[in-house]
Amino acid sequence: MTASIFSSVFSLDAVYVLTGVALLIFALMTFADRSNSRRAGSGCFWFTLGIIFMFGSVAPHWLTGLLVLFLVALDGFGRVGRGSGETDPTAGDSQAEHARRLGNRIFIPVLAIPIVTFSFALVFRRLGMDVNRGALVGLGFGGLAAMFACLKLTGSDARTLMNEGRRLNEAMGAVNILPQLLASLGVIFTAAGVGSLIAQGIQQIIPANNLFLLVLANCLGMALFTIVMGNSFAAFPVIATGVLVPLIIKPFGVNPAMAAIITLTAGSSGTLMTPMAANFNIVPAALLNMGDQYGVIKFQSPYALTLWSFHVVLLWLLIKIS
Amino acid sequence: MHIQDLLKLIGVAIVVIGLALRLRTTLVVVVAALATGLVAGLPLFSHEGFFQHLPYLTKPGQTGIINTLGRAFADNRLMTLFIITLPAIGLAERYGLQEQSANLIRKIRAATVGRLQIVYQLFRALHGLMGIRLNGHPVFVRPLIFPMSVGAAQATGSAPRAVERGSIPTERLLATAFSSVPRAVASRSIPTKDSFATARGADPVERIKASNAAAENYGNFYGQNLSPVQAGILLVYGVMQGLGLTVGVWDLVRYTIPIVAASIILAIIQFSWLDRSLARTAEVKK
Repeated sequence: MTASIFSSVFSLDAVYVLTGVALLIFALMTFADRSNSRRAGSGCFWFTLGIIFMFGSVAPHWLTGLLVLFLVALDGFGRVGRGSGETDPTAGDSQAEHARRLGNRIFIPVLAIPIVTFSFALVFRRLGMDVNRGALVGLGFGGLAAMFACLKLTGSDARTLMNEGRRLNEAMGAVNILPQLLASLGVIFTAAGVGSLIAQGIQQIIPANNLFLLVLANCLGMALFTIVMGNSFAAFPVIATGVLVPLIIKPFGVNPAMAAIITLTAGSSGTLMTPMAANFNIVPAALLNMGDQYGVIKFQSPYALTLWSFHVVLLWLLIKIS
Repeated sequence: MHIQDLLKLIGVAIVVIGLALRLRTTLVVVVAALATGLVAGLPLFSHEGFFQHLPYLTKPGQTGIINTLGRAFADNRLMTLFIITLPAIGLAERYGLQEQSANLIRKIRAATVGRLQIVYQLFRALHGLMGIRLNGHPVFVRPLIFPMSVGAAQATGSAPRAVERGSIPTERLLATAFSSVPRAVASRSIPTKDSFATARGADPVERIKASNAAAENYGNFYGQNLSPVQAGILLVYGVMQGLGLTVGVWDLVRYTIPIVAASIILAIIQFSWLDRSLARTAEVKK
């Protein structure tokens, strides 16, 4: 009995429900935000996402799918935005005052998140349960623990707490759900046979037993896709389904964790070289008032190319020696 | 290969063209998914419940695109779990989290421009390790790292005094602070008249500015994979799961360590070269 209560409280579903509740509170606050001209659309967006979080495990898939289309339609028609009236608290003088008062103690609640995450993973491992699940459940409860720690430390109230969460959430906006959408795109690519199609195409050029050229094609594809799209997260599902898994991991029996994470950061080299990643390369040049809009990219390119070559060699070597 | 097969690549084309044209990212991705499924002949809905009575929308024995989308989206909720950490981080920001981070940065005593960039990159990699995600360009680089770098350069005599003109109003800094990629393009036009007055390329101040932005990107991009709660790790975990391969989040973190090490060593080399070339410029002036 206690065991079943334990496993349902400390489960991934409990954490999803918790996150769903937070999203519903954000949504209600957004509906009431008079400074936001798009409060209806934004409120609907976060409310729907909250519902998907709470009921995603039990709702029929077609319903979740339709709700996802609704989310994307709201964003597609520009109905998701944030209010203008909220003052950014990081701008005020009060922040400096608080910083003097609290000092480094302000890091305690933030540090609680990774500490609780790690502890959960360790406990799950001790109990012989899935460590990955432990880390994810720990992330949820870490967030909760950090909320309590932060309230206790600052003496603030729950309403301010949730409103600050909403401020950060709305600042990031609808792109929050992008990783989830990209992963779904990968699944649909697989269902439609796109991955095997790309794999066949590459096999016509590169012999299936030439590991080095396959690794090269994998890392090159990742970097090129990232350069064009400006986003390594968007490139990863395509390369993983089309090249990495069918041509490298499966035929050569490669450790998937090692190959996957090295492939992802091979894309980061592309991010360093593309104006498409405007937030990282073009906006800073503007912020720093640089004469050359591409100055940051030019500085980063030799570094990016060298680090990319290192990825190719490292991946190839790690597969060779294993 | 048949034409029918090649048509399946339409999804890849839609993603590439859509993102290159900077159309709304979420919409591009979902349209690509729907188009790919339809071209491959998959039905919109599974053949079950009341849907099996609807014409055209289902095919017996095949899973619908909308069903697959819903299942995959629900399975990958773990990627968006970071939302639960936002209230605590937001409240901490209100009570001086960034200000206190800035205080720590101000305590850095780096003798040269290059060494300051290395320390800052390590500081940003530490953020990644702690699971904090932020865009450091408006928060740290522009207000702190750039002036500190100029100070270090002036102390060693490699940058002219009074370079710090034409500063940007705070509102604009804050406006770009958390803006997402598409919105950020609007600020492309910022470079102003006086910035064109400065020389290009060889100008030491230009190179210092570029190195400031680079240190932020190097530390942010590679350091963030050091924590299993970060988006990159969760994305890889979810995508591999979708492909039928279970990977451990801690294994992903472990295998990113050599990459982070290489990213730091390479940066040390590049920033030391910067120091040397700045020193040369200083000598030429004397």
